[in-house]
Parts: sequence; C-alpha cells; structure tokens
Amino acid sequence: MKDSVNSSKKTADKDGDTAPPGGLFPRWMKIDILAQDVGFFVLGLIGALVVGWIIFPAVLYSKHVQPINFNHALHLDSEKVDGVEGETKAEKCLFCHSFRDDGTFTGIPRLEKCTECHDDPESPLGETPEEKAFMAEYVADEKEIPWFVYSKQPDCVYFSHIAHVKMGEIDCETCHGNFADNEKLPIYEENRLTGYSRDIWGKRISGIYWNKEYSDRMKMDDCARCHTEKGQEQNNACFVCHK
Amino acid sequence: MKLTRRNFIAAVIGGIAGIQATPLPWKFTDDVAIWTQNWPWVPVPPTGEFSEVTSVCNLCPGGCGIVVKKVDDRAVKIEGRTDYPINPGGICPVGMGGLQLLYDESLRFTGPMKRVGLRGEGLFTEISWGEAFDMLAGRISTQRRKGAPEAVAAIDGSPEGTTVSELVKRLMRAVGSPNYVRPPSICDTYRMGNLLMQGTLSPMAYDLENSDFVLSFGCGLLEGWGAPGRVMNAWGMWHQGNPAKRKTRIVQVESRASNTASKADIWVAPRPGTDGALALGIAHVIIKSGKYDARFVSDHSWGFEDWRSMDGTRHTGFKTVVLEKYSPEKVAEITGVEPKTIVSLARAFAGAKAPVAIYGKGKDSLNGSLYEYMAVQSLNALVGSINRPGGVLLPDPLPLSNFPPMKVDSVAVGGLRKPRLDQAGTMRYPFSDSLINNFTDAINRAPRSPVDTLMVFSANPFFTLPDGGGFKKALEKIPFIVSFSPYRDETANMADLILPDSTYLEKMDDTVWPVGLQYPLYGLSQPVVEPLYNTKNVGDTVIELSRAIDDSVGSSFPWESFEEALKERAKGLFEAGEGLVSYDAGTPAWQRGGDRDKPGYSSFDEMWEAMKEGGMWYRPVGSPRDWQGLFNTPSKKFEFTSKLLVQAIADYSKGQSEKKALKDMGLSAPADEACMAHYEAPETTADRSEYPFLMLPYEMINLASGWIPSPPFLYKTIFENQLLKDKSFATVNPATAAKANLRQGDLVCIESQAGKVEARINLFEGAMPGIVYLPLGFGHTAYDEFLKGKGVNPNNVVQAGQDPISGYPVWWNTPVKLVKV
Amino acid sequence: MKKENDHGKHKYGMVIDIDKCTGCGTCMVACAAENNVSVRADQSDKERTITWMRLYKISNGKPFPHTEISYIPRPCMHCDHHPPCVSVCVATATKLDFNTGIVSQIYTRCIGCRYCQAACPYGARYFNWWDAYFPKKKGLDRYLTPEVSPRMRGVVEKCTFCHHRFMRAKTVAYAEDRREIEEDEYITACTEACPAQAITFGDLNNPDHEVARLIKHPFTFRLLERIGTEPKVYYHSSRDWVRKLADNFLPGEYTPVVNQTWAEEEWSTKPGRDEF
Repeated sequence: MKDSVNSSKKTADKDGDTAPPGGLFPRWMKIDILAQDVGFFVLGLIGALVVGWIIFPAVLYSKHVQPINFNHALHLDSEKVDGVEGETKAEKCLFCHSFRDDGTFTGIPRLEKCTECHDDPESPLGETPEEKAFMAEYVADEKEIPWFVYSKQPDCVYFSHIAHVKMGEIDCETCHGNFADNEKLPIYEENRLTGYSRDIWGKRISGIYWNKEYSDRMKMDDCARCHTEKGQEQNNACFVCHK
Repeated sequence: MKLTRRNFIAAVIGGIAGIQATPLPWKFTDDVAIWTQNWPWVPVPPTGEFSEVTSVCNLCPGGCGIVVKKVDDRAVKIEGRTDYPINPGGICPVGMGGLQLLYDESLRFTGPMKRVGLRGEGLFTEISWGEAFDMLAGRISTQRRKGAPEAVAAIDGSPEGTTVSELVKRLMRAVGSPNYVRPPSICDTYRMGNLLMQGTLSPMAYDLENSDFVLSFGCGLLEGWGAPGRVMNAWGMWHQGNPAKRKTRIVQVESRASNTASKADIWVAPRPGTDGALALGIAHVIIKSGKYDARFVSDHSWGFEDWRSMDGTRHTGFKTVVLEKYSPEKVAEITGVEPKTIVSLARAFAGAKAPVAIYGKGKDSLNGSLYEYMAVQSLNALVGSINRPGGVLLPDPLPLSNFPPMKVDSVAVGGLRKPRLDQAGTMRYPFSDSLINNFTDAINRAPRSPVDTLMVFSANPFFTLPDGGGFKKALEKIPFIVSFSPYRDETANMADLILPDSTYLEKMDDTVWPVGLQYPLYGLSQPVVEPLYNTKNVGDTVIELSRAIDDSVGSSFPWESFEEALKERAKGLFEAGEGLVSYDAGTPAWQRGGDRDKPGYSSFDEMWEAMKEGGMWYRPVGSPRDWQGLFNTPSKKFEFTSKLLVQAIADYSKGQSEKKALKDMGLSAPADEACMAHYEAPETTADRSEYPFLMLPYEMINLASGWIPSPPFLYKTIFENQLLKDKSFATVNPATAAKANLRQGDLVCIESQAGKVEARINLFEGAMPGIVYLPLGFGHTAYDEFLKGKGVNPNNVVQAGQDPISGYPVWWNTPVKLVKV
Repeated sequence: MKKENDHGKHKYGMVIDIDKCTGCGTCMVACAAENNVSVRADQSDKERTITWMRLYKISNGKPFPHTEISYIPRPCMHCDHHPPCVSVCVATATKLDFNTGIVSQIYTRCIGCRYCQAACPYGARYFNWWDAYFPKKKGLDRYLTPEVSPRMRGVVEKCTFCHHRFMRAKTVAYAEDRREIEEDEYITACTEACPAQAITFGDLNNPDHEVARLIKHPFTFRLLERIGTEPKVYYHSSRDWVRKLADNFLPGEYTPVVNQTWAEEEWSTKPGRDEF
C-alpha cells in the first residue's frame, strides 16, 4: 500500500517535471487536458450556482398554504363591506388591523373581528366556497384561524405600529408590500433553520437590492436605513426596536 | 470523458468558486446565527390585548387592593391599586409574587382527590366532585347516625368574621359538633384584652396615621403586621420630607434588630417575654410624675385607684401595684433595659400630642400574651389615647347582617352539648374561643382519637403551629382527614380526601376589617381569571356539602351559591348607610373631615354592583365617639382592673383555695394583681443549665410563614446568610457564639426538650446575647422543588408554654442548647 | 469635563430614599415579575441567581443594642459617563442611549463573554448560566409578559429601567395624539411597587420632575461616586453611617453633612433619631 502511494507520486512528479518528447509544453498544459479542466471547473461552477441559487432556496423554505384564503381586495371594497372607508389605503386597512385604545396594534384580527359581520354560520354573506368553509370550520366552532403571519418578527423585536403609521405617516405597504389588491393570499414560506417568514429576508434570495426598494424585506438594516433617511437617527438606538 | 481525480478537483474548485457567487454561504451564516438566537425551548410569551382587573389580595387578612395586568386570558403581573383605601399603590412582596401561586401547577391540587399513598407522601388520585362529596357526607352522616357528631372537627384558618368562616361555623353547628378550632392569631389576644378592659368586640383600631408617637411593643410593623400595604405606606409618609421636622416618632420594643427596630427612631431591647414589665415601668414613671391624663382616668376608667368590693374588702388598684412593683430599677432587672431609657421613653410618650402604644408579636399570625397586651393598653389609657385621634379608636363592628336563624336537629343539639375538646370557654379558660394546642393535646393524650373526621379549611397547622410537632402526631391518630386547601401543603399531604378550593385569584371572597385598621372596611375580591383547574370556591363547597349530608343540615344553607351568602351578609352594610364604595386618593380614609363624595348608590343591588367593581365598602374615620355607652364593661368604664377577671377568678376558686385556683390558671400574682396588667415570668420545665439559650422564632415580610406557600420569587430576596442551599441560618450574637465556640457558617443542632433542628450559624451584632433566632417560613416538607427541603421550621423546636388565663401558646420561651455538628 | 449626555433629550434617573426603604424586597419581586426574570429552584447562590434589582443589607457594626441595619436597593446605575460595561463590550450588545440615558442590553447580540460583568463596578450585571427556567410542565410559562423577551443561556442581562414601560407610555401618548409623556406615565416597576414610596423616578433633565429637585439635596449621594461614572441612580439618607458606606473612604476622607440649607430649611446636624 505504502509502496503504491509512493510510486504513483513519483509518476506524477515525473509527469510534471519533464517535458514530453513531442511538444513545447509539459503534458498537463496540453490543450485538451486544459479544456477538460475548464469543463469540469465550469461544471462544478454551474452545479454550485444551481445549488446556491435554486436548490438551496427551495430546500431552505418550507411552503404553507394559509388555512383559508382571505380576499383582501374584496374586503377593502367599501361598497361591499360596511365601515371600510377612508381616503388612504392605510385608513381602510385600519378597519380590521386596528389600534386598540392603549395604542397597541391588534395585528392579524381575531375571529371576533370577522364575526362582527360573519356572525351567523348558517347564512354566509358571499357565495365563495372559502367563506362556507370558514363559517363551518371556524365560526361555528368559535375557533381562531391559525394564520401564518408573513411579517412575524422574532421575540426580541419590538415594533410600534402607531409610531410609524400614525405619527410617522408611513403607508402600510411601505413595509408590508401591497396586500390590499390581493385576491389570493400568497404562499407562506418558512425558513427551516430560523423559523422566520421569508418576508423578513425578502423574496430576493441574494438579499441585494440595487435600487433601494426594499419594500419586501424587513431586516434590521432596513429599519435603520429608513430611520436614517428620514432623519430619525436617534431611533436607531438599540432599545427602540429591541426588548 | 472520464472523471479522474484531476477532473474531480477541477469540479470542486469550480463548485467552491461558484458557491461564493450564490447567496448560500452568506444566507446560511446569517440563518445559523439567527438559529442560535431562537432556541425552541426558550419560551416566547404570546402577545395579545392588554387589560387590567382590579381585586383584593386575600393572601393575608390585610386585604390590600390589587390590580392584575392581563394579556388576553393570562394574568401576567400583580400591582398595587392606587384607588384602594388600605394601600395607596404598594403591596407586600408575597402579594407581588402571587401569580406563581396561581400558575405553578405542582403547588396545587387540580381537582378533588383521594389519597393513594401513605400519609404525608403526597400521592393522590383524582376523583369526581360527586364522589368526593359522597365520601365526606357519608362519613359525617355516619357520625350523626351514631349520635356522635362531636367527633367531626374543623380547623378553620380563614380570618374571623369572613363569610367562609361564618359558613364553616354554621356547618359545624348544623352537624352538631362544638369542635370548631382556629389557629392562633394576634387578634385572639386583642379580642380578649379589649373584652376585659373595654367590653368591646370590634377589631383593634390603631389610628397610626394620625399619631405622632408610635410606641410599638413587638409589632412587626415592617415585618408584615396588619395590612402590610397600609403600614408601609404610613412608614413612607412618616419619613417624608425634612427629617428634623418629622411629625411622627417611632419606637420599637423588640429583642432583635429587626427591620422595624433598625428603621425606628429608637430601638429598645428588653428580654423576650418582658414587654409587659417594660410597659408597666413606663406607666410607673408616668404615674409618679403625674403626667397621666387625669381626666380620662377619673372620668372614664375604673380600677386605677384602690377599691372596695361589696363585702367591704379593700383591693389594690393599678396605681398602687405599679408604683410598688414596677419602678424603673426593678423593671430594669426584669427586662435588661436601662432605667434611664425607661424614664426618657415615659417622658417622650407622655409628652407627645397623640401617642399610641401598640402591641403585637411580629406579624399578626401568632398570638400574644394577654397580660402584656393589657399592660400596653393600660399605657394608652394612662395618656388618654383611647377614643382620641391618633390613639386607639373604638369603632362599631362592621354592620354585616347575620345569617338567618337555623334549625338545629336533635342529633346536633346532643352533639353541641358535649364539651369542647380544647376546653375553650370553660371556667379554666373563660374568655378563650379556641385553643388549638389543647385540642392537639386532647387527641394525643387519648388512647383513641376523639376526633373521627377532621376538616381543615385555609390552614396548614402541621407547618404553622408553634407546638414542637404535636399537631403532626395528632394528625397521625385521626382516622379521616379532609383538606379544602388549594395547595399541596403539609397538612393536605396527610389528608385522605381533598376538596380543593380555588386560589385567591380565581374566586370571589371577602376580607373583613384588616388587623389594626382604624376604620371599618369590608373588601370583596373578584375572580381575576377563570379557575384553571377543576376546583371550587370553598364557600360553594361548604354549601353543597351541607346538602349532601342530609336535608336537616342542608336546610340551614338556603343559598344557591356562595355569592348569595356574601350578598345576604352585605345587606347589613347597605342598611347601615353612609358606607363608601369608591376611593379617592386625594382624601385618605384615615383623614378626618374633608370633602368626600356621597355614597352614590340608592339600592342594595346598585351598592353590590359597585362593591363588586370597586372591591370595597368602608367608612372613613370619624370624630371620636360619645363616651356614653362606649365601654361595655361591668363598670361601663375602661377597666384597669377587669371586673370580668375578678368574677372569673372567683368562679374558678369556688370549691378550692384561691391560691390553688390562681396557680391552676397559670398565675403567680396575688388575686388583685391577677385582675390587671402585670408581669408573669414565663415558666419552663427545662433545666436551664442544660439548655442555656432561648430559641425565638422570627418572621420576615419577604417569606410567607402562614398557610400560604411562599411564591418562589421571594427566594431571590432571601440573603445568603439566611438560607444557603438547603440550610437556613440561626442568628446569634457574636459574644454568644464565642461562648459556644461557634463561628459564622458552622452547622449546629438546636435542641430543645420538644425537638431539634440543624441550622447554620449567622453572627449578628443586633441579636440579643443568649438568644438563638430562627426564621419562620423555611423547612417545608411539602410543595415542589422551589420550597421543599429548604431550611428548617423553628416550630419543630418550640416548647410551648401556656399563657396565664388565656391558655394561648407561649411560643417565645423555648430553652435550647447548641451542639456543633 | 464635557458630558456625553448633555445633548440628550431625556436623562432618566432614580432617587431611592434609604430612610423610607423598609427592606421588604417588593422591588425585587416586582422587578423579576415585570421582566420575566428566570426563577430557579436554588436561589441562594447569589453569584448565579438573577436579580436585576438587588437589596444589599448594611449594618452600622455597633454592638448590641446599638446595632442598626439598613438596605440599599441596587438596580443598574445607568452610568452617564463612559459606562464601563459599554466600553468593554466587544459585540456592541450594550449601549448608552443618549436620548433616554438608559444603558441598553440586547440579548440576541450578546456573545456571553462577560467582560461587562467584570467591568461593572456595581455588580449589576448577571450572566445566564442556564436557559430561562419557566417549566412548561408546571405551567409557569403562563405568567410571562410579552413585553420583555425571555433570555437564553450564555447571555448577560441587567436592569433596563423597565424600558418597555417607556415604550408603552409613548404608545399611549401616540394614541392620544401626544408626542411627549408626563412624569407619572413612565415609572419603573420597582418605583411603582415600593409600598413605602421610597423610590422616585423621572427625567433628570426636566427641572419640573421631582427627581431633578431631589438630587440637589445635601443628603443625596451615589454609590462609588468618585470613580466618575456618573450613575443616574441616587440615594438619600439622613444617616451619616449609611452615606459613609457608599464609597471606600479612607480615614478622615468622609465629611459629614453639616448645617446645609436646602429649600430655605435649616438642617440639624442630628436629624431624626438623635434628637431624643
């Protein structure tokens, strides 16, 4: 065994050191061999790019369909839904995603909010099968809907909606993207490693944004960049957003 | 093309190069970092809607107002209420940690249970409420059928006067047993002393906030006496502003530099059990210097001067006795306090505008000595601080309605005629309601337990009684024990059947006149959360149990629920009128005068709803009362010499010599003196050369020592020279330790005739030489990892004597020896 | 010497009246309950157990019966001048916020090197030797508040002046269309809990706040004041022996507070107890 290793090494040395009789270059510099090298290099490269850009994101995120489909566009139609009014989109959003009296934000509405209108499981307000399923499964049993929350931040993060929406006059879609016109809820993607929603990192797996539109990500840097841009550097102090 | 080694390497290099150009390494690193920040086993408390529920804390009889912060259905924090008269904002550490008593499942019973393991093992199996009621009702019915209902006994720790205690008393009457026993409390001593000297039955009312000189004999003002929220609030108020111009001075009389003693303006340290002598020494100086309130003494008191009885015999009065026997020099010999201190104390006390002398022994959860209390109350009378702002007030009892009269069947009548096991109320103990140490002795002495079924309500006597472990032995003899405790306490672990109460945050309950408060207050607590487990409000349990026993017992409980019973009693509050059901922090309830809102309700239902919301009914402190009919003693005056005692001693002496009778009652003083405040040296059977030290248990505000377990939070506040790992510390003076050759941290065995415990030594200059101080509240053998096996319970060493006349345990005089381990 | 925090808007601080403090420990319990502080079975090992607010017991050392004890409640001092913990933090996990004067601690950023713990002159920092202990099987996770994030093992934690209460107060103010908060809207859990009202909390920069007035009092002192970290927690005691224990004075170095005037009131040299 030892001998064979030694001998093969010797052979290799020989190959490298002495020029072959038929050419100017050593054998390893022969064009066909180099081409082979390049070929395999490119193969590896492409493989890695495929793994990194396509397979990795596909494996990293698990996909979940929301328990029921909620039609944002329909519910924001003030002709169809009583009370959804307002000049800006944000005002309309606030009908369901509201502030409590103490200024805290309700986030995803509880079933209670839905049943303000959808109060009778026997008589749905629309004609969609989704609504029927919703009535039968949740309203009838008074069960909360286990929504997947796209913008869910980890426990260490404190975010004050009222500071941004009311005092900072920032539109909902600046951070959340345009949900208002959605007829169908997007697929929820969860990072298998961190448990975070994909919307925190953003759809762009590279995480690189050239044109400063970062509306689909919610990383700490994005908060900080926006604070700085708006001249609110003092809000980059750690405790403003961490608890 | 063939995959050679060389090709493979080329591909790997290509791969490595390529992967750098993908997000994989960067994203992966980021994600791994995030992953390490969110371990799945670190809890993430769910958020939701924040809300507040107001209630009243029932962990001690203090009844402070609390506000519980909730997130959705979960209670997350307890805080003090600023809109409650007792405690404007603050509460004690036990109340602050109360949520752990609600949510720590391993402290609690999750439903009715019956014992499956050995007694004390704590092994139970869950049964249904129906089964539980059947078992207990069957047992009681059997006793009733046998014509021996007196073999059913109850120990009830719910504070005197609460609706639960009234229901339990009623149950015992309906069943036909006189054996309703209560754990000792300082209120027993107050009640008896006030009955003898003032003829009043209302709770003790010290007008502390309006006083300018508080002379506290042993009251643990900062250790949890009374309503801690109230006393500590007053403490803060007393120390507000310029210290040179402070209005109120505080003097603490106690043998150890406790928090109260250290923080008081003056600390006076007499030997334990000699507080009464010190008070009489002060009285001596006041009388001798003529600084006493001659008007009160002549107009409103009796027995100060010598007097003649009907048959013409001359009897000595308080003045003669005090002047003869309690000169500062003599008192100094008894107490160890220097004569000049006694003189200066007396001058300061008599010279104050609104002095008050208050009496207690640590917290209010253990009894005091009758004569000590009488001596302290005599001081108040001497300076005219009775029925005067800043002194002792004599308000009427709370105007709660009585329950409707009940029918007692023939079985019950027979049972109720039997003597009480504890002899309370007999000629020997004529003024006592309940003597639990006698009760224990009666069971331990008898060959077969005279108690067949023992029901334990809101009490953990196994742990809290200062009896050297006597009650534990009695429990072992009792055939059937039922506990109504929500907690897996020591007594409950000995029980055969558990009918668990809900915790104080899950039920409606009342608090009645917190200890020492100067105005009447009735508190009503509300469920803060729905009951977490299959438990039942003990009030409802008693009502349902009565019905399960038989119709005759059940007919005495006509209420549908406990709330109905609460309402029935509260009707009296409405009828009395004028009670306030809301509180404005701007006009404290102890402040006289001032604009106050009118009650603001016109019907009982309105008042009840307001009470449920506000949790209170109270009457702010009023102007002093008319002297006419104020004292309900035989002389209709304040009695320095109690005529009731004169009569009681005469009654007991019938058919035997007076001397023997007095000795029997625990008295060494002659008859005249025995009827007034005087000093009785505590007696002991121990050989003091063998047991040279005294062991004195002490209480801390940051540790629950009663029937409620301590919230584990509290152990953060315990110093490492109070508890280290599983060992608690005995505090001794360095001089004492040097004599016994002990150093800081040494492990010693503290041994009395009653028992022994092991503790470490903590050297403290503020401990009286010759005394070993052991903290109460440690040494649980029940509960969970947080509380079990931490330190020792000094009650296991206490060799309790008997207080003369009252018969209450004297737990402050246990001779011990220290043996280094 | 120029102070870093001069430009800040707020400078929150605390005055603790040692005369009023009864040593009951409610502040410690309130703090632990408010801030989801882990409670382990053995709390007696004080180097391991976590107490953001901690009571220290001090004694005048005199023999019986002249012994006196007192308590010093010790939260994080939120040093205003180069907080020692901030200077040494290699991970920028702890910072002094110039807008509030609060020294922050970010658990997810902390790498657990414990330099800050070693640097803190007050022992106010605690290392998590274990994960937060709120056993689920006992149901003890049910009382946790969502306002403060529970800590994992291997990170340092400390008093935050209940920063979440500041955020809560601001949220309420925003709901009511205000940008500023009132003095009583933001107080720490210990301030609120103290049954003897010994703790006063407020903005030291705001002359209308009680704290700003109290810190000028001659009886007011700070712990280890001479190391120059400018703690924002002040103490108040009329007893000289208490004030003397606040620093390591060499013999003769400590000057008792004598005949100072404050708010036009004459102060006696022997206030309180010595008058008898």
